[in-house]
Amino acid sequence: MTTQPDFAVEVYQNEYLPGGAAEVNAILTITATRGDSGAAADQQTVQAAEIIVVDTSGSMQYPPTKISAARQATAAAIDTLRDGVAFAVVAGSHEAKLVYPSGEWLVPATEHSRAEAKAAVAKLEPAGGTAIGQWLTLANRLFGGHPHAIRHVILLTDGKNEHETPEQFDAALATCAGTFTCDCRGVGTDWVVSELREIASAMLGTVDIVADPGGLEADFRAMAGAAMGKAVTGVALRLWSPQGATVRFVKQVAPAVEDLTAMRTTTGAQSGDYPLGAWGDESRDYHVCVDVKAGAVGDEMLAARASVVLSAADGTAQVLAQGLVRAVWTDDTALSTGINPHVAHYTGQAGLAQAIQDGLEARKAGDVDVATAKLGRAVSLATESGNKQIADLLDKVVDVIDPVTGTVQLKAKVEEADEMALDTRSTKTVRVRK
Amino acid sequence: MLESMSCPACTTPVAAADRFCESCGAELHPAIIAIAGNASLGDATAAPPCTSCGTAQIGQDGYCERCGHRQPHGRDHAELDIGLAAGVTDKGHHHHRNEDALVIAHTPEPGGTPTVEVVVCDGVSSTPRAADASQAAAEAAAASLIDAVRAGARAEEATSAAAVTAAAAVMALAADGLAAAGTAPSCTLVSALVTEKSVTVGWVGDSRAYWLAAHPAQLTTDDNVAGELVAAARLSRAEAYAGKGAHVLTRWLGADAKTTGPQVMTFTPDGPGAVLVCSDGLWNYLPDADELSATVPGAADAPLAAARTLVRHALDAGGQDNITVALIPFPPLSRSNTK
Repeated sequence: MTTQPDFAVEVYQNEYLPGGAAEVNAILTITATRGDSGAAADQQTVQAAEIIVVDTSGSMQYPPTKISAARQATAAAIDTLRDGVAFAVVAGSHEAKLVYPSGEWLVPATEHSRAEAKAAVAKLEPAGGTAIGQWLTLANRLFGGHPHAIRHVILLTDGKNEHETPEQFDAALATCAGTFTCDCRGVGTDWVVSELREIASAMLGTVDIVADPGGLEADFRAMAGAAMGKAVTGVALRLWSPQGATVRFVKQVAPAVEDLTAMRTTTGAQSGDYPLGAWGDESRDYHVCVDVKAGAVGDEMLAARASVVLSAADGTAQVLAQGLVRAVWTDDTALSTGINPHVAHYTGQAGLAQAIQDGLEARKAGDVDVATAKLGRAVSLATESGNKQIADLLDKVVDVIDPVTGTVQLKAKVEEADEMALDTRSTKTVRVRK
Repeated sequence: MLESMSCPACTTPVAAADRFCESCGAELHPAIIAIAGNASLGDATAAPPCTSCGTAQIGQDGYCERCGHRQPHGRDHAELDIGLAAGVTDKGHHHHRNEDALVIAHTPEPGGTPTVEVVVCDGVSSTPRAADASQAAAEAAAASLIDAVRAGARAEEATSAAAVTAAAAVMALAADGLAAAGTAPSCTLVSALVTEKSVTVGWVGDSRAYWLAAHPAQLTTDDNVAGELVAAARLSRAEAYAGKGAHVLTRWLGADAKTTGPQVMTFTPDGPGAVLVCSDGLWNYLPDADELSATVPGAADAPLAAARTLVRHALDAGGQDNITVALIPFPPLSRSNTK
């Protein structure tokens, strides 16, 4: 079968705690690497399945550049699929319709099938409403015949999910979670950031804004290309923690902040799994925080054993890599007072995302004081951690008087696309400079 | 009892009084050596349950599978028992590793009384690789003592030679650029060579030897500021150790040490008792020979139990430093190798 990537876990922490302390923090860097020969072999052996879901609601023709850009972008994504990848195209409105193929199955990508699919996509015409839960449900059904493939969805929408109840939407999301990953893109400014973020988080994918329809083609090509680079799926982070300890949180912190805490599945009396999705050649960082029973000075405890595991159909799990999070209690304050730079950096980055989201919410609610304070804090955090991308986005929403102290004034007039871009990308982090 | 036996290497029948096999040349009565931290002969702590919660499940990485506590490994806590001597070393409550080293050995004497060799070294923790220094010194000194005893050297000569050999082993650690004053790997050393007639101790630094019996005594004088003041009769022991900088070493093993030879003293007991060899992790809490002797009245009969008692005493008193305790009953009679 496939040559799995080699996984590695690196742990960054200050394991030294003062007597009585019980909170243990660590950053785990998980890296998957494939040798050249492995990557070449994967091209032949990794089964991949790709579904492109395009919003064809009536609003997609206002302006008409949206639907034409969506057609082009979908065609570009189809061209990016390598031979043999099972694929389909779905048109989404208040219902989900197959664009290609004609029946409910996936078709292997060939020169012929790609041409047929592109011809069908060229005829897409906007009409109807928006019911994203139905789009996802159809995608899930189509993937049913490909349980062993690495399954991925590209989802494009331009509007608010308003033609199904929140309960219907939540039920659809719950059914689909864990069966495929989904990258979401909002085009224009009439869609709702929190809706797409909810889908992307549940489906372990990304969310972004493509304010200008002209940017869709390159973005679709990049997403399909990244999906083709995945070599393994169903990877999980298994955390063992000692009796009496509680895992306070597990967050992905790079490339973007994603709280995984609520996604824990219990795998034993003292262990649980957090889904990590599909992996190609890449590296991600996770912040793990565990509350342990406080030890006495001189004690050393294993606060968490972090394993990257791959579960087989029969329930057995293969450990691909492992790292240890330790706690050592000391009365040497020189050792125990330092915060590990990785932990400090990502604590700041997670705080940055929260400050932006809180600030934008206050701004919408008309609370100028809170909005100014939160966005000022965000400017200060972005400056301190060197997150230039977010600093530039903040620049479009506030006038910065002093970036170091975070003294800002809200801009009187803000482009809606700029505000949505800041909201959508607030969770994108920069890594620690090593 | 000089019965006939066969060579353990080639099975040729040999006389038990012979030292070497006439046929293959193998040593017929090799020295018994136990080194703290090496899972080897004399290690009395094989796969114990968790020291914190008592569960039997210990993960391969050395942490309890239930409560997560790191299990002592290597020198963190080791117990050695070779019958003729026993010792315990523990990292204590405040240090994250054990920089004390302990080797106990005995050299059989066909048809005669065996000789017991014990070495304790204490790494100077303000220097790099202190744990390596103490280990290298203890192993080198023990090997040198055994060779010298085998060669028939006088106990004092064997003791001096062992300290010089240990000093060379520690100096070798400084070869990679760590030789500047104050930054060379360094340690103390105390050795005891116990025969049927006498006890010879040698030392460099502030690790100590005591005689525990009806009339207990401290056999060593500390090579530190306080010890030198006491030796020069300038101050009482209590006054000297209360002073600032009392524990600053004046002699040690290391590339930056000024002298290498040990102080050596030989003592002829007038009756049975036990020799105690220890690091300052013990004597900081129990400096007085009478108190030590009273704490372990059974030291000559059950040396391992007594060593455990003394280590426990130091741990309960605070365990600020690494603690190492070895006890050698005198005279070194053939005892069954039980624990």
